[in-house]
Amino acid sequence: MAAVTERGAPELQEPAGWRRTKNRIATILMWLSFVVVIIPLVFVLYTVIAKGISIISWQFLTSPIPPSVLPADAGGVGPAVLGTLEITALATVIAVPLGILGAVYLNEYGGGNWLSRFIGFMADVMTGVPSIIMGLFIFSIWVLRFGFSGLAGAFALGALMLPIVIRSTDEMLKLVPNTLREGSYALGASKSRVTLTVVLPAGAGGIVSGALLAVARAAGETAPLLFTILGGLSTANPNPFSGANIALPMLIFQNASSPYPGAQARGWGSALTLIAIAFILMITARFVTARYARYQC
Amino acid sequence: MAGAALTAMALSLAACSSSSTSSGGGSSSSLSGTLNASGSTFQLPFQQAAIQAFKSVQSGMTVNYGGGGSGKGRSDLAAGVVQFAGSDSPIPSDEVSSFKGKTVLYFPVMLGPITMSYNLSGVSSLKLDLPTIANIFQGKIKTWNDPAIKALNSGVNLPSTPISLAVRSDSSGTTANFSLALTLGAASAWKLGTSSTISWPSSAHGGNGNGGVAQIVKSTPGAIGYVDYADAKAAGLTFASVKNQTGNYIAPSPSSASAAGSTVTLKPDLTFAAAWSSNPQAYPITYQSWDLVFQKQSSANTAKMLKAYIGYLLGDGQKLITPLGYAPLPANILSKAKAQLSKIGS
Amino acid sequence: MSTVTQADQAAPGSVPASGLTARPGLGDRGFRWLALGSGLLVLVILVLIAVSTTQQAASWFTTEGWGIFGTVWDPTANKFGATPFIYGTAVTGVIALVMAVPVSIGIALLLTEVVPFRIARPIVYVVDLLAVVPSVVWGLWGILVFAPWIAKIYADIGSAVTGIPVLDSLFGPPTSGASFFTAGIILAFMITPIVTSLSREVIATVPAVDREGAYALGATRLEMIRGVVWPHSQGGVVGAVLLGLGRAMGETIAAALVIGSSPTITSHLFSTGYNMPAVIANQFGEATGVFRSALLGLGVLLFAFTIIVNVIARAIVDRSARRSRGT
Repeated sequence: MAAVTERGAPELQEPAGWRRTKNRIATILMWLSFVVVIIPLVFVLYTVIAKGISIISWQFLTSPIPPSVLPADAGGVGPAVLGTLEITALATVIAVPLGILGAVYLNEYGGGNWLSRFIGFMADVMTGVPSIIMGLFIFSIWVLRFGFSGLAGAFALGALMLPIVIRSTDEMLKLVPNTLREGSYALGASKSRVTLTVVLPAGAGGIVSGALLAVARAAGETAPLLFTILGGLSTANPNPFSGANIALPMLIFQNASSPYPGAQARGWGSALTLIAIAFILMITARFVTARYARYQC
Repeated sequence: MAGAALTAMALSLAACSSSSTSSGGGSSSSLSGTLNASGSTFQLPFQQAAIQAFKSVQSGMTVNYGGGGSGKGRSDLAAGVVQFAGSDSPIPSDEVSSFKGKTVLYFPVMLGPITMSYNLSGVSSLKLDLPTIANIFQGKIKTWNDPAIKALNSGVNLPSTPISLAVRSDSSGTTANFSLALTLGAASAWKLGTSSTISWPSSAHGGNGNGGVAQIVKSTPGAIGYVDYADAKAAGLTFASVKNQTGNYIAPSPSSASAAGSTVTLKPDLTFAAAWSSNPQAYPITYQSWDLVFQKQSSANTAKMLKAYIGYLLGDGQKLITPLGYAPLPANILSKAKAQLSKIGS
Repeated sequence: MSTVTQADQAAPGSVPASGLTARPGLGDRGFRWLALGSGLLVLVILVLIAVSTTQQAASWFTTEGWGIFGTVWDPTANKFGATPFIYGTAVTGVIALVMAVPVSIGIALLLTEVVPFRIARPIVYVVDLLAVVPSVVWGLWGILVFAPWIAKIYADIGSAVTGIPVLDSLFGPPTSGASFFTAGIILAFMITPIVTSLSREVIATVPAVDREGAYALGATRLEMIRGVVWPHSQGGVVGAVLLGLGRAMGETIAAALVIGSSPTITSHLFSTGYNMPAVIANQFGEATGVFRSALLGLGVLLFAFTIIVNVIARAIVDRSARRSRGT
């Protein structure tokens, strides 16, 4: 920060007292924010690990779900693990491409016209829809006609994810400099080609971040599932498109306030499993993006 | 003690697999298909145990009971997304229209006491009556050594600890039946009505589910809450004996709940209220649950599956109930319920 | 990043036809329609939600009329006034934002300005960990661990400020572990990852040239942030904050477990309260008839509320963005 010229005049050295102090305070505050965030995280993780770790085993992750009264060593939460993986994957496949395409429209094609601004505004509004209302909505337009299924749950979760993906992708695309686009057009590429091969990769880091946050949220939501997948299963349903299903958040919710110690242990074990699955997903995706995404230069 | 009951539970679940008779007709034909159900969470432990045991009776059938509350169960049934619904209360008048005139059959499946669980060190037995309970839960009696409580418990050293109320934060059939008992047995004292959602005094602590209320009672000295018997036992809570209609102080238990069920007025559609029973041995805050089914099913197979499963609940399934902490149906109700099975048709 | 090299230039006379023709190719048009369709899907879904929820809420509106904004919610007495919940949603949303936004921006700045890349990676993973905690776990931890612990702190603060004019009405008794403030804190934990992550991405795109320019002029880091980073990224950061606010207002299960479930309108932040998603979650299972309509009607009101909040926020952003860009 200090540039000392040949002539040795110190006028560009460390800034005078008050400015420097303000700067130091700001830096301390930034570090403090991080600490403030670590503390509850450590406590939550500690609680979940302390209550859940003893039950984790391969049998726990794959066995059928026993009645609540049975002790912790009976059965497991296999159906819920499968259900969460199936339903979240389905929701991601539905929501992420649609969301990215929607943001592409807003940014590349919409050109700031009233429609794209309206859609952007409505996507913001949609992030505020309570997750329970999403569940009730899918119940009334899908479940009433086609019954409970993992697919209905995926629609509800996808509807929660969609505005997050659109909004975060939109913010990232806005920041991709126009020079990139113009250079590609100058080479004769069509708009779709420019978008797919230049713009999206340029914003890939942020886009994937936003998508990951949406997936993490979806994996952990309970309320939308309560009205769309029914739950109550004891054996796994490998078909997410038909038939009632169950997922880890639902099991956690039902079991953790149960008085039976076996059910409680299964509930906390499920919480630990869910956190682990989602975290592994996020780290993998960040790792992959870091290797392949292209950054600003 | 809870461990012994659970081991007995596990053994009986295993043993049930060897019994092959189910009431309501022979089970010699094997059925296949899925039954979806939702509703009362009071029934949930029973349904889970029964579903597990039923697999050995009809291995080709899958039953999913999703819980979610009596109201959700009834509305899911009306919407046709479930084949039967668990409900702790009969269909209220403002919901009847949603069933579009189709006849609904009520199959009572079990009874259970609602305990007055409390946390007061040094006080291992407590007697209460419904008017006093009404005043406690309306915030009019604020400390444990209040004259009204002392009058019922001579010889017990009651401390001056303030009373903390533990209630349900979510709507529930347990609340509905607790308030029903208070309305019937303490009519002049109880002003908050009968409903699954009551406006408790703002100082009350709300817990989610019976388990949540049990947790609050367990961790708050001086707390009192209404918790269903099975959950209270599993959580290791102490509960009070309550004065019934004949003046006896009765402790909650499966037998005192069955006693309450034996003297009810059974309507032709098999609805009844087990609260504030006139039986001298009855526990006054007892409630009941039904499985609701449409009389006319859309498919013959569904009708057969329902007959088989509900027949099981009314037959061998009743053996699963007491180890769980609930009360099986008394004989008079049971026989009428079994007779109604044949009405399920297509 | 694609690099433009001289070698890519075609030989004169053989101009590639595709990009320079007047009409875009079929695939290109198809892509355009696909993108437009996806954008419209948002509108379609929202309209459907609004319509179906309003339909089912209709009987509440017709029965209560303007009474829907009443202050009493008593299902037993058939009174369904929504104001306690609107109040609760506003209060918990504000508390969550006040706590989460400075912290999130602080972390975002930490990651982009202060910390070298090697340390930034683990910090990012820690923030990710915060995001993967499911909402139900936040709620359970909140009510089983956090609320009992903080109840004592509330009680101490409450008794300390009794009698002092403004502080008493905000922080005075009655206090409870499960309260508006606890719900606000838990919501703040939940929205921090999203605001941090997006703010970081936005701030990271500030051109290095501008940053270096500021440093070259002798600015401290703080001054550089205020002068270069903030004007460039404020739009994006506000967008991130709005996403966080949306989540805070719509979060159902965690709020239902820790807010105390008491429909009261009070200035005491440490007392039990209620908000819209929480009451819908708690009371829906047993609700029928007008009661159910009322709960769905709360969903409709939350919609309207979210729209109003977003309009105001966007207006503020647009005005300050225009001012800083000098238009």
